[in-house]
Amino acid sequence: MISSTVLIHPTTWFLMGAVLLPFLNNKEKLKKTVLIGIPLIAFTVIHWLPDSFGHVSYLGFDLVFGRVDQLTRVFLHVFTIMAIIGCIYGLHVKETGQHIAAFLYVGGSLGVTLCGDYLTLFIFWEMMAFSSVFLVWYRKKRRSIEAGFRYLLVHTTGGLVLLAGIFLRYKNIHDLSFVQIATNGATFADYLIMIGFMLNAAVPPIHAWLPDAYPEASVTGAVFMCAFTTKTAVYVLARGFPGFEALAILGAIMTLYGVGYAVVENDARRILAYHIVSQVGYMVCGIGIGTAMAVNGAVAHAYAHIIYKGLLFMGAGAVLEMTGKSKLNELGGLYKRMPWAMVFTVIGGISISGFPLTSGFISKSMIIAAAGESHRTGLMLMMTLAAVGTFLSVGIKLPYFIWFGKDSGVEAKDAPWNMNLGMAIAAFLCFFLGVFPDYLYKMLPFPVHYHPYTAYHLAETMQLLGFTGLGFFIMVKKLKPKPKMNLDVDWFYRKGARVFMWIASRPVLSSNNWINDVYRSVGLRLTMAMAKAISWFDWEGIDWTVDGSARGVVEGGNRLRSLMTGKIQHYIGGAVALTFIILILVMLV
Amino acid sequence: MLLRILNYLNEHSIMLKRIFFVFLALFVVFDFSAARHEMHFFGDSIIGFWSLFGILGCLGMIIVCKGLSHVWLEKEEDYYDK
Repeated sequence: MISSTVLIHPTTWFLMGAVLLPFLNNKEKLKKTVLIGIPLIAFTVIHWLPDSFGHVSYLGFDLVFGRVDQLTRVFLHVFTIMAIIGCIYGLHVKETGQHIAAFLYVGGSLGVTLCGDYLTLFIFWEMMAFSSVFLVWYRKKRRSIEAGFRYLLVHTTGGLVLLAGIFLRYKNIHDLSFVQIATNGATFADYLIMIGFMLNAAVPPIHAWLPDAYPEASVTGAVFMCAFTTKTAVYVLARGFPGFEALAILGAIMTLYGVGYAVVENDARRILAYHIVSQVGYMVCGIGIGTAMAVNGAVAHAYAHIIYKGLLFMGAGAVLEMTGKSKLNELGGLYKRMPWAMVFTVIGGISISGFPLTSGFISKSMIIAAAGESHRTGLMLMMTLAAVGTFLSVGIKLPYFIWFGKDSGVEAKDAPWNMNLGMAIAAFLCFFLGVFPDYLYKMLPFPVHYHPYTAYHLAETMQLLGFTGLGFFIMVKKLKPKPKMNLDVDWFYRKGARVFMWIASRPVLSSNNWINDVYRSVGLRLTMAMAKAISWFDWEGIDWTVDGSARGVVEGGNRLRSLMTGKIQHYIGGAVALTFIILILVMLV
Repeated sequence: MLLRILNYLNEHSIMLKRIFFVFLALFVVFDFSAARHEMHFFGDSIIGFWSLFGILGCLGMIIVCKGLSHVWLEKEEDYYDK
């Protein structure tokens, strides 16, 4: 009985695949079968899921591994489809480790989508963060190693905020079930959980990890990453926080923030990464508006977005794979050498811009129309302006400077068959959803009464897109890519970390006793400061968490003193260990 | 095959440009006939409003973003490596 329940959970299959893969290193055919077979099995089993399964009572907690409703189903559907596409695209990759990381990552994301309580959610949430960082590291460049560490650091922090929220919530209501939170009853704990979710959704100002890490990820890694982390966050926000005004406003700001950077950036994958921020903004805004139509739109847009953003990352990745370049100023005129990659990427570009007959047209407009129907004219116009920027940056600028424009003379040929097949499937789905919107609409959590193909909507879209195109060709000289990068809020921790490292490394370099004394007091002061913060928590009446975390902090202070080697890996390791210690403590209490 | 089509289009870029302008005009003309069922705000009642929104939004966005980037945010690529 138990075994059949375990096997019905799609994550189990990905975990089994991850365990199996290391043994198939020399058996190419078998390895490829597993790589395609596991996502296919997962895609099949999600159609047979019962409404509720996998209830485990563990030390007084009711863990729910399977809670299935309409919202779960649509996300599982697109996640497993994307896993199939991503695995086909990455079939040629030799490093088994990369496939294992991708499997664990997808498995974690499916686990979050299915879980019914916060503890299970947290476990899968961290599983996603720690497996996806390897997709960055497998690029094996110094920049990606560094970006990976920053990615981990930010996500660990976000995870701790989420965990703090979960603890407080449990303290308040003695219930860990993951259900919708009423807008008028939200407490401090709920907002902490929301911030933890928002970090993964890359809501500014806690978004900079995304454009920092994704462009440095491996070619296939980026294809997986662009689909799962942010969209899992969209799922949990849609599940827990529909109707929160903060989300509506931040979401609309996001759409413009992301697209603004996409207009000025130079690296193709950095443009696409910033553009994820913009696109997820639509979904966050839709969830924030919270009407049935807006949430439907957010979910539909998540579905469509996963496919076409995956397609765009596959196209830019194919160029990077074949030429070793991803910067627009070094590319140009590639259409003669990589025509298929061009066709697919342009399809992704017009889909994301919302051309009629593509998936963007039927999903994005739903959120904008929902904003209009709720009389949120400001939000509606912000999102429409972002749509203009989308076509400008990803619809025209990106393909123009890679495939047309001035011929750069870069040597290239079309990508391997499996990469092209992955792109072809995604491109087909973009059109399929655009032509048969009911296929997607039927899966949405609420009944759909929206018709995208009206004369006025067509007139509006074509005018917007057409005249944006005109604007591009007027200003094309101004948009010429330059080998530069733009500052973002990651400046604070990237430059700030320098200051910290400088202070930290000096005592190590010097054997001076006096400095060691100062050093010790710095460590003590940290302990004291944290203790002070915790006494505040104590005052709030959370005695039981305090015991665990106070011990953890004292230990952290000690470790900080003994581990001042200047190696940030150690600090990350310490933080991770602390997380799990706290987690175990909670499980045992 | 695909390459031949692309080359053909590339050689006839002036023709493409003309077709593009004809289409732009058609979009505005089409707006006259498009029935407006649900008006969300005043812009919905103006013929060609979205054309104006598109072109001004596009130019405005390029000017603002490029301007901000130029005077403030733009740094050398090895800025963080120094």
